[in-house]
Amino acid sequence: MIELDNVWKRFEGRQGHRYVLRGVHARIRRGDHVGILGRNGAGKSTLLRIFAGVEAPTRGRIRREMSISWPIGGSYGIQSSLTGIANARFIARLYGMPLKRTEEFVADFSELGPYFHEPVKTYSSGMMSRLLMALSFAVDFDCYLVDEALSTGDARFANKCREVLEVRRANAAMLLVSHNAGHVKKYCKTAAILRNGTLEFYEDVDEAIAAYQGL
Amino acid sequence: MIADVPRRAPGSALEAQVRVISALFMRELLTRFGTSRLGYVWLIGEPMMLAVMISTVHWLSGSHLPNDLPTFLFYGMGYVPFMMFRSITSRGASAVTSNMSLLFHRSISLLDLMIARNLMEMMVCAAIVLLFILGGMLTVGEVPSDPALLILGLLLSALLGHGLAMVLGSVQVFLEFTERLVHPFTYILMPISATFYMVEYMPPEAREMLLWNPLVHVHEMNRWAMFGDRVVPHFDLGYVMIWVIGLNLVGMAGLRGARPRLSMSD
Repeated sequence: MIELDNVWKRFEGRQGHRYVLRGVHARIRRGDHVGILGRNGAGKSTLLRIFAGVEAPTRGRIRREMSISWPIGGSYGIQSSLTGIANARFIARLYGMPLKRTEEFVADFSELGPYFHEPVKTYSSGMMSRLLMALSFAVDFDCYLVDEALSTGDARFANKCREVLEVRRANAAMLLVSHNAGHVKKYCKTAAILRNGTLEFYEDVDEAIAAYQGL
Repeated sequence: MIADVPRRAPGSALEAQVRVISALFMRELLTRFGTSRLGYVWLIGEPMMLAVMISTVHWLSGSHLPNDLPTFLFYGMGYVPFMMFRSITSRGASAVTSNMSLLFHRSISLLDLMIARNLMEMMVCAAIVLLFILGGMLTVGEVPSDPALLILGLLLSALLGHGLAMVLGSVQVFLEFTERLVHPFTYILMPISATFYMVEYMPPEAREMLLWNPLVHVHEMNRWAMFGDRVVPHFDLGYVMIWVIGLNLVGMAGLRGARPRLSMSD
């Protein structure tokens, strides 16, 4: 379980400070697949970094009783001057996974072909997210934090990701942040909307999407 | 295949720490040397050039070092430990700002980044020292008079550099402009660190001043360990240890305080 209790986050800007999160409460349990919808700049990525424990909240408490992935998106946590395979080895060493098996899993899952041996900076955005999803799925986290990384893959790859999550449903939770309601509908069972710095949970994805689109 | 996911083996906290540092170390090795072989050449090339240049000036001016000390080795062995200190300090100080993307992994702490980077720098420089010593043994038959003390000396310069790197690296998080001061600072240190001379060759008032600098003690000790009784060293091991412990404690506290202030937002 991960629990956020009254989490606030302030950023210092040039014109004084600004609160991005204003008292967020959340509870994610094993097997939950939660989508977080929010407009650009609503603070989705900030929230995910706080979930991941890589950024400290200004105020509030976080309890983590699961192993949580790093935020999966952009080029977070990978070294763009190194090759795909070098990154796979790095992740394997860092998280204590068997080297050879991890390499094979990432090569197979990411379907990068010869690009697996090229520096990551030469990758397209689709290839980048395939590598990222493969790297994170290679580690048996209890909770995956996905920051738009699923949105650039094609339909075939999306199905593959869903399959992995399906297989691990009993154990693995997923938190997906997106501004795109379609993605949340595809991957999540429940959803929440992040707006004005607070998080509002909905039991039903469709209900959440309706509320989000009505904004 | 997809269901067949690799599983992690459980381990202790110490194992986890070692795992993180060794992963970072391997990565450091790849990013530093993986792309160009020229890196290796330049590492040994810089101190070689310096030692050759100063020895040539010496030879042209017709002056000699006291007690027939081999000029090339004297300057080479003076410069390399300083070079180690300098590169650990300047590369280590930038370890925080240049590795932000790695901080997306929660298990990586700022201290891990520092240790991995500085450990590698130390090993690289130690290899160069070894080359210089081997060269000295083969060409002029100069064998280190106290090898164990020399190893301790090198370790102490590395630890001084590591401590200072942590202090400077964490100060940079609070005051960004200090990043620019690291390089000038290490240059100013060079002439006042007894890199190319012995404290004994200086007038008494200058000696007193120089001995405030812990690096002077380390360099004096190194030369004594290398050349034995042909030099008259001035050093106090306890004084250096106080600096090492002080810088490292302040540095670790600084990194601890700096981490919550770092934001990964782009």
